[in-house]
Amino acid sequence: MSTGQSHAGSVKARADRALNDDFLRGAVKRTTERLRSGKAQAAAEQGRWDEWRERGRQIRLHTIAHLDYYLSAFADNARANGAVVHFADDAAEAARIALDIAGPAKTAVKSKSMVTEEIGLNEAFAEAGVEAVETDLGEYIIQLAGELPSHIIIPAIHKNRQQVAELLSADAGETLPPDTKVLAGYVRRKLRDKFLAADIGVTGCNFAVAETGSIAIFENEGNARMVSTLPKTQITFMGMERIVPTWADLEVMATLLPRSATGQKLTVYLSGISGPRRVEDGDGPEELHIIIVDNGRSRQLGDPVFQELLNCIRCGACLNACPVYRHIGGHAYGGTYSGPIGAVLTPALHDHADWNDIADASSLCGACYEACPVKIPLHDMLVELRRRKAEAGRPRPLEALGMKGFAAVMSRSSRYGKALKLARFALGPANRKDGIRLRLGPLKAWNAKRVLPPLPKQAFRERYRTLEQQLRAGLQDMDADVKRHMDRHLAARREREKKEGAISRPGRSVQPPGNPAGDGEGGNPHARS
Amino acid sequence: MPDHETRRKRWEAESRARQEAWMDRIAAQLGRPRQRERPHHPFRGAPDFWQAHALPRDEAIRTFTANFRAVGGQVEEAGTLDDALRFIAAEARRLGARRVMAAGCPEFAPLPDLLPDVDVKFWLAGNAGETEANRDAAGDPVATAAAADIGVVMADHAVALTGSIAVTSAPVQGRSVSLLPPVLFAIVPVSRLATRLGEVLAVWDGLEPGRLPAGIHFISGPSRSADIENDLTIGVHGPGAVWAVLVEQFE
Repeated sequence: MSTGQSHAGSVKARADRALNDDFLRGAVKRTTERLRSGKAQAAAEQGRWDEWRERGRQIRLHTIAHLDYYLSAFADNARANGAVVHFADDAAEAARIALDIAGPAKTAVKSKSMVTEEIGLNEAFAEAGVEAVETDLGEYIIQLAGELPSHIIIPAIHKNRQQVAELLSADAGETLPPDTKVLAGYVRRKLRDKFLAADIGVTGCNFAVAETGSIAIFENEGNARMVSTLPKTQITFMGMERIVPTWADLEVMATLLPRSATGQKLTVYLSGISGPRRVEDGDGPEELHIIIVDNGRSRQLGDPVFQELLNCIRCGACLNACPVYRHIGGHAYGGTYSGPIGAVLTPALHDHADWNDIADASSLCGACYEACPVKIPLHDMLVELRRRKAEAGRPRPLEALGMKGFAAVMSRSSRYGKALKLARFALGPANRKDGIRLRLGPLKAWNAKRVLPPLPKQAFRERYRTLEQQLRAGLQDMDADVKRHMDRHLAARREREKKEGAISRPGRSVQPPGNPAGDGEGGNPHARS
Repeated sequence: MPDHETRRKRWEAESRARQEAWMDRIAAQLGRPRQRERPHHPFRGAPDFWQAHALPRDEAIRTFTANFRAVGGQVEEAGTLDDALRFIAAEARRLGARRVMAAGCPEFAPLPDLLPDVDVKFWLAGNAGETEANRDAAGDPVATAAAADIGVVMADHAVALTGSIAVTSAPVQGRSVSLLPPVLFAIVPVSRLATRLGEVLAVWDGLEPGRLPAGIHFISGPSRSADIENDLTIGVHGPGAVWAVLVEQFE
């Protein structure tokens, strides 16, 4: 059971609402631009970024391919440090274990953890009478508002200063001005008392180091340090795939994650926690519980397309790169995870038909893949989701009909030619010197904001025969070697297109420019224009 | 309510049983037998060109300083430990601090004499034993740290390229000292300044599980957040002012 997932309505309905919220659109635009340019700058400064990405990818691939070894090693080593390790098959079990650990405890302070939102921990605690307070500033704000995060890294970007001031004023019982310093100061004071008095501290886990059974947490505010130092009992939730083999590998993740998320060289705090306090320590939790969560992750293992999904390091770079996300924001996706990663992760984890409309909310431009620090081919996965949806018999009837019609027309050159002639005939009356502005039928949505260019005197297809002859004549003057090279190149390309068809194997999405066997354009063959 | 010992035994047994079942299932999904030996890991750690990267000492200091300052941290270069302690004392006076919490390492013993009008307490866990320094040991170390205006710690490591200092939990240095007071001074012996993060992380790959410090903390500047309208705010939960005092001649 995952709560807070408002898949009432469709992606389109939620997107429409988002598009009409001017502040949200402005906030999402500003935030994603800031984070994206931060990332670009940090990556350029680091240098050889693509080599780092490839390294990150190889480490994650290796880890997932040997997950039984590394996860087991992590658990054994964590126990050797004195931690208690729990395994939760699904969200319900994870929540149950947490309550079992909590026992009679009354208060919990939480640092940021997407997994705890995925499993609905706060709701489970609330039902059991445990007060669970979010301590990350953005999460604290949306907890007061009773909303879901709208961005993986900056959860409250959809709230403006005034709204935040109103929420915090209600919380404070006095009027606070919409001044960031004052508002943050209030939260600092309020939460300081909570940190010192809470029974339980809950954290997430960015990476779990198998070599020594240690948990690595990246943060900027200091609240994760607080909740893992002050309360007597610490509960850390981790997805089962969040493993790196060694501290040496952690360096690669520490190089990729902060730069990809916010453009920082390193987050202000990077903590490595190896068990509860030692007997001789003066602070730190007396008990450390690590709850390892599956909740659909293991289902991706062995899947040739979706196993790579487990490589994700939850940086949010794909959100900031996605042209769709940048317009509609996170809530339109409806689940815990938004953006391109959410669009694939949510259906993959939950296997619901309801979620598959998210795969349509994409232009398949591949910006997510380009941005991903571990090179997950999200755009290929979205196509795969659509394919599985169609094969399972779940496409919209009109879409299925449209596809059949398209296939019928495009399968014969003569049919295509006839269809073109028909279109020229139909558009003829609407054709003006400065373009076609007709807003009827299929042109209605397109011409709402654009103008179709005017019809040429003769279709290119009809001109081609003459053009081809002219080209050949020109080619006679070309150097024989060059001509032979071009002919070979064209022939190879035709061969390749015949063999491969429309959908490629995962991971083989981007041809480097100048690849002699490639399409010659140096671009992504799956970029639909 | 079963007693704690019983609960722990139950968790332990469940954990081991589940672990086996999970790993068997993972191996089955991956379509192969269980991987019980450590696999060959050809891409371990940072790329080769990176692992060869090392800055000469002066450049490392300059790089660390630039990076630490770029995020709002402050850096002071001191010749000796004594210079460093005097600097900290002067700053504490300038800030009007009333209470200081320092790690209980012997290097900080001169602090109370340098700050006669200030309440200087040391972090020493209860069973660290009776020593000369204990006379100023804090009764309740966490509460004392929470009430302090300034925290003073000894950095175990520092990294130039990320602009970070690293502190680890120890009987004489609790995590709270570098976390609770709003102002933090960290003494950083230059001999402990590494170029890359990986150089420091490698230390822990070499340790037996159970032998690591419970808390390892890299600190790269003052606490910050941009969660409200992307407006940057400094000093959210952790210290809002952080000083790295580099000591040239230490050990």
